[in-house]
Amino acid sequence: MAVGGSTGTELSAGVPAELLVEAAELPAGIGPYRLAWRRLSRNHGALFFGVIFLVIVVLCLLAPVYSSDIAHTGPNDNHITEQIKIGGKLTYVVSTIGLPIGPTWHSKFFLGADPNGRDIAVRLLYGGRNSLEVGAVATLITIVLAAIIGIAAGYFRGWTDGLLMRALDVIWAFPVYILGVALGVSLAISGIGPLRGNSLMVPAFVIGVVFVPYVAKPIRGQVLGLREREFIDAARVQGLSHVRIMASEIFPNIASTIIVFIPLMLANSILLEAGLSYLGAGVQPPNPSWGTMIADGVANIPAAIHLVLVPGIMLVIAVLSINVFGDGVRDALDPRAKVRIAR
Amino acid sequence: MRKHPRSALTLALAAVSVIVLAACGSSSKSSSSSPATGKASGSITITYGTAPDTLDPDAFQTTQAGEADQPVYIPPYTYAETNGIAGTQIIPGLATALPQISADGKTYTFFFRKGLRYSTGQPVHTSDFLTAVERSIKIPWPLGSAFLVPLIVGAKDYESGKSNTVSGITTNDATGQVTIHLTAPYGAFENALAFQAYSPLPKGTPMKDLSSNPPPGVGPYKFSSVVPNVSYTEVKNPYWTPIPGIQSGYANQIVAKISSNTTASALSVLNNSNDVFDWADTIPPSLLPQIQSQASDRYQKLKLNSTYYFFMNQKAKPFSSMLAREAVIVGLNRPALARLGSGFFTPGCFFLPPLMVGHPPSSCPFGDPNSTGDIAKAKMLVQQSGMAGQPVTVWGEERSPRRQFVDYYTSFLNQIGFKATEKIIADATYFPTVGNLKLNAQTGFDDYNQDFPNPIDFYGLLLAGDAITPTGNLNHSQVNDPVINSKANQLGTLFKLPTSSLGSASSQWTTLDEYTAAKAYEAVFGYLEAPEFVSNRIDQSALVFQPINGYWYNTFKLK
Repeated sequence: MAVGGSTGTELSAGVPAELLVEAAELPAGIGPYRLAWRRLSRNHGALFFGVIFLVIVVLCLLAPVYSSDIAHTGPNDNHITEQIKIGGKLTYVVSTIGLPIGPTWHSKFFLGADPNGRDIAVRLLYGGRNSLEVGAVATLITIVLAAIIGIAAGYFRGWTDGLLMRALDVIWAFPVYILGVALGVSLAISGIGPLRGNSLMVPAFVIGVVFVPYVAKPIRGQVLGLREREFIDAARVQGLSHVRIMASEIFPNIASTIIVFIPLMLANSILLEAGLSYLGAGVQPPNPSWGTMIADGVANIPAAIHLVLVPGIMLVIAVLSINVFGDGVRDALDPRAKVRIAR
Repeated sequence: MRKHPRSALTLALAAVSVIVLAACGSSSKSSSSSPATGKASGSITITYGTAPDTLDPDAFQTTQAGEADQPVYIPPYTYAETNGIAGTQIIPGLATALPQISADGKTYTFFFRKGLRYSTGQPVHTSDFLTAVERSIKIPWPLGSAFLVPLIVGAKDYESGKSNTVSGITTNDATGQVTIHLTAPYGAFENALAFQAYSPLPKGTPMKDLSSNPPPGVGPYKFSSVVPNVSYTEVKNPYWTPIPGIQSGYANQIVAKISSNTTASALSVLNNSNDVFDWADTIPPSLLPQIQSQASDRYQKLKLNSTYYFFMNQKAKPFSSMLAREAVIVGLNRPALARLGSGFFTPGCFFLPPLMVGHPPSSCPFGDPNSTGDIAKAKMLVQQSGMAGQPVTVWGEERSPRRQFVDYYTSFLNQIGFKATEKIIADATYFPTVGNLKLNAQTGFDDYNQDFPNPIDFYGLLLAGDAITPTGNLNHSQVNDPVINSKANQLGTLFKLPTSSLGSASSQWTTLDEYTAAKAYEAVFGYLEAPEFVSNRIDQSALVFQPINGYWYNTFKLK
């Protein structure tokens, strides 16, 4: 673990000899994050998947451009009784028995249509925007809340710790999906404060909250160890306030832990969002998300498997790429990682 | 009311649905009254996408429950076990004959049959009829607010606790006579007496919903096991006393499996591992071509008296404006909605369905329902109404294709100039939610399947002003039109117009339904047809589908 702000004596204490050798080979003055970047830049697998994730993000951000300039339809526009030319032949977008067309590989309905005659490619990109937006906001909520709660609980201990940890235990006692569905369904109707029930921020809030214990508890554990260290005592002796000690002494020492959690929580949040949306407790229709698109397609699997395959593959690629990239970040931030650093 | 709800958590139901009952066992007890032909044994499995709301005869309101209860609880009157319209003909059930109606239409008298026994072996007493009525009021039976409490003298006092019995009903155990005094003449009271809520129950039956352990009945079958939301099993009633017109049943055991995965259910019937696909479920369009090619001899479309529509609340903007409502009706693409329903819809515009007396043969006032809608005119009407840009919340259910209907409708409302957003809620809570007047829901999905073949069933509950109630309201559009109120009241309470002679009032109902359409009160988009789809083990020649409660289980027969 990086120990920014600590002394050389602390660095060497209990550190394996091989790491000391590696540290001795490092250029003078290199910081832990620069070191981590160097390690990451040599992990080609992680970088490859990081680029893939970046491409997905860029594609999803360009959804309005694709929608207006290429597909010429919005994500919620129904074209049930319209006809398009496929191979010179006019075909209904949705047949009389409700079967949608498959991929046309043309600008319109490139990946086919759903039972409401909506362009799947357009919905896939908009759905990706929604999934990523929910995942990102949820991750932010989780990380911020978990950091505040974890640091406060670990630093103050006593009744503060007891109160906060029991509160987290209550959340932890429920399986994530059950809690997510319960909160999602109830809040989808009433909303939260100024947020309407169909706002994307509602599932983001739900997901953000249910994951807090999974991050706050490890942070608290780390803070419990840090608060006994000499540099914290030194800060106290200097008369620093509790808030300042937590912000300037403790937080920098757990920052790398938080950074490691970010991709992990992002992947989990996207997955949970897909699951909740599949169950009707996440992104509310007609807004697309990869989860709602899969749910919409399930009944048509025998004859229109593209309805679940397309969003399913996107979901797998997105989550896989975040996870592999996240593993790379974790390895890079791990001082015990055996990654050779060239001078 | 006959709604077709589907449970909320599809995945949860899918998970539990893998619990498979031992479906191959057969009871050694075979009714002596079983028909001589066909296999009077074996087990038949029916699949349901939606669980019955409750199996208690005094508490249910859905078709799934009505179908399950139909062979278990026989009311004083029932319907002929015949396919099609003929199956809506009232016949005596536990009563010996059709009721004698007093000259003022307010007193009904009939006699119970002798020698009846419950499935426990207990004898049926005529006074048990009163027990069932009181229980229906106390639980309460959701439809009792329309078909019981306001109709029978003393029912309101019993409901409120002012009296300890329903004074308007007298029974005589010795003679079997039942006399019912009505508060006012009600032409469809015979049909009301055909609800399972009027089936006798033993005295001492707990005054609470016994869904997981339903009370004993008098019918040819009885419940042998119930796993809520997963399955239930009916077996032959060893104490069944044959009643003319009611078949004694063929299969020794009927197993109902509940799974929200209708694709898997349809496939299982196609592969003959299950026997009957519930008519109230929609066959996924992706399977229809396969079914039509591989099993055309065991698949057909059934006609129902069901109207599907979007309600438009007259008490809230923007649908307080008739021009705004007209815009919706003019622009609605009904063929598109029919496609969303896998082609099981006949586009239409009138509130009364085609098989109902009074359904207008005339053309629709706002254009051909088979057209794809006039969007340009609809936009113009929205502009003229001054409601352009008005926010609209569209309410809908999760189950397919209802959610898809609402997806389309929301998109359409945005297209013609409103600012619409969707609110999709769980099937189980949908109708209670939009039926709560405090919510004042603006618009949303609605459907209605007949309780009995009389237009008053539709008008009395869905369009009459006095049907607007604070909770459980079914008049979601909050229509309170004096013309409809007086005409429905007049036609509905005519005691000389019971179901059998409704034809004489047909033209008056037609005129009223044309008036309703012209006022653009409801955005009717079509009439449901249902799939009849069975395995190759089932003898379809014996199968009876009644367009009120669905299949008669006692006509399920193995080849």
